[in-house]
Amino acid sequence: MSEGVSPSPQGTRPGFSINTHNLVGGLIVTVLALLLLGFSFYVPNSVIPRLMSAALVLIGVAAAIGVLPVHGPRDFYGGLALVMLPTFALIASADLPGQRGFAFGPGTAPRLFSFVLAALGAAVAIGGVFAEGPPIEKYKIRGPTLVIIAILAFANLIRPIGLVPATFLAFMISILGSTEMRWIESLIVAAAMTTFCVLLFVYLLNLPFQLWPRF
Amino acid sequence: MSDLLANLWMGFHVAANPFNILFCLLGALVGTLVGVLPGVGSVATIAMLLPITFGLPPVGALIMLAGIYYGAQYGGSTTSVLVNIPGEATSVITCLDGHQMAKQGRAGPALAIAAIGSFFAGCVATVLVAALGAPLTSLALLFGPAEYFSLMVLGLIFAVVLAKGSVLKAVAMVVTGLLLSMVGSDLETGAGRMTFDIPELADGIGFANIAMGVFGFAEIIRNLELPPESRDILKTKISGLMPTRQDLIDSSGAIARGTLIGSLVGILPGGGAVIASFAAYTFEKKLSKHPERFGRGAIQGVAAPESANNAAAQTSFIPLLTLGIPPNAVMALMVGAMTIHGIVPGPQVMTKQPELFWGMIASMWLGNLMLVVINLPLVGIWVSLLRVPYRLLYPSIIVFCCIGIYSINNSPTDVVIAAIFGVVGYWLVKHDFEPAPLLLGFVLGPLMEENLRRAMLIARGDATVFFTRPISGVLLSTAIILLIIAALPKIRRRRDEVFVE
Repeated sequence: MSEGVSPSPQGTRPGFSINTHNLVGGLIVTVLALLLLGFSFYVPNSVIPRLMSAALVLIGVAAAIGVLPVHGPRDFYGGLALVMLPTFALIASADLPGQRGFAFGPGTAPRLFSFVLAALGAAVAIGGVFAEGPPIEKYKIRGPTLVIIAILAFANLIRPIGLVPATFLAFMISILGSTEMRWIESLIVAAAMTTFCVLLFVYLLNLPFQLWPRF
Repeated sequence: MSDLLANLWMGFHVAANPFNILFCLLGALVGTLVGVLPGVGSVATIAMLLPITFGLPPVGALIMLAGIYYGAQYGGSTTSVLVNIPGEATSVITCLDGHQMAKQGRAGPALAIAAIGSFFAGCVATVLVAALGAPLTSLALLFGPAEYFSLMVLGLIFAVVLAKGSVLKAVAMVVTGLLLSMVGSDLETGAGRMTFDIPELADGIGFANIAMGVFGFAEIIRNLELPPESRDILKTKISGLMPTRQDLIDSSGAIARGTLIGSLVGILPGGGAVIASFAAYTFEKKLSKHPERFGRGAIQGVAAPESANNAAAQTSFIPLLTLGIPPNAVMALMVGAMTIHGIVPGPQVMTKQPELFWGMIASMWLGNLMLVVINLPLVGIWVSLLRVPYRLLYPSIIVFCCIGIYSINNSPTDVVIAAIFGVVGYWLVKHDFEPAPLLLGFVLGPLMEENLRRAMLIARGDATVFFTRPISGVLLSTAIILLIIAALPKIRRRRDEVFVE
């Protein structure tokens, strides 16, 4: 799913020229497309996705060096991501049998939807080349990162150290994402929320949770 | 007719069971709560509470979840009127006139009219759901796989055309959802599709994970970017809840028209409560002899959208319960909830589980009654909840979501998947993609594939069957015409205007 994450640059600051911005954006597209191309050579039977990724590499390079003028970056990079996703899906489902005779195979519907999505994504991206559009909003780092770290921490801690510490820690990590954090208040609410969750999930709903670390 | 009454009677019997009343009250309370709190939507809440409903009996679980949806419509109006913060997208339009009324010292009547309008709309919609249930169900029984497939295409197109933003991008989101739903074991052959031999993916990407990631986590990340908001809570005491006689006379027409528009829009796939409230407001303004009064505290401007959103919230259950097709993202979650309990949404629900079907309908009426009681006298309590700062609210939501996702399968991988979709959702918003069509596509994906497969098999691989069978042909042509109309430049401009308003 890496292609869904960030095929766009860190954002456009008003002072930066459009070229700098497209250099970063185009490079990200190129790198992701090269990864797709590499992946497609590991899988037999994937001529079409190979061609698609190769085209994406070219588009990425063209955008990076400024040959391809991008007027609506939101749509352009958004559309390209929606071409990359089905390319990835096509490679991943290349080993599945398709239509045999009258009947659908397991690979038919994924391929059908992939081609439709790739066409739609391309249309969105082409719109982004020609139609004037707003620049990509700046991506914030602090809030999103800490929230995601908190969720991942919970996922990795719940088994080894149990519900109570994992919940408390996840709460404290995610609250660091806010710029208005206050320590004492946060600790109190974290404790209260942990208690509430334990009462609700463990005692009221009887879900089998391990509460504390096993020693 | 007597059948209808007998069925409703049975429904009330089910709904009046003390446990079900409790669940209904719980749903209404939670709904009001999320309606009041900005930044917490009903989609995210229902996704959050899905795991909790595991342990409940199916009727109680669905009654509670339904209560959250229409309860949120009530709660949303409260903050719109008092603080000018729409707690829910459906109440955005209520802010315009509702808050003006509050500034003029008429917050009480505004809230009362909103509640009365919602209650009236809720009563009408309950009867409508009951009355339309049986005929639509028998219609659904005429449908073969080809018709079902075409109906789903039409539903998805409707959802796209009625959503805001670019039609092309919304269609792309639907197909993205369809593609994502293909991950997992193939239904017929059991072959793993795009699973990369990850055991957690063998069952497909969990529906709750996507919903929680895209609507819950992404929303939070997004809200953190916004500058710290200042919530000026109206200090004035709300004096005199009762509207005057003149208020009632002025708003009665608006309530009736709002209910009608809301009911119609709610039934349409893709409609739902947001578009209903906008449509009702615009219509009322057009119809009014004094359009200049709108936006300056016209009571019709509160009555119409509030009745409409509540009516739509309830009638959007009709396509779900009769045809098994969710018309909007909330109903898509209800499909998830039903599937968790082993109920396949569709025409069979009514014949095989009549107590579930009618119990749910009757509970809607009871729920509306409760909501009037919860909302009007207790309005002060709800508003004081706004004092809970977002910096404490969002970590609580995050840990609650994490525990909820984990508890579905006891799987940490599910939590990681939800986190990934949180990032995806954030990215989507940055590129002006709407996440709701994605969820709808994801829910309908397996159903569409199944019906497409069957239809093709029956027709011996002849794809023209979708156009040669009459019902299917009409449905598909309607979908194509709709799409073309929506893409016409003139219509598109008008559509954009409506959403800007």
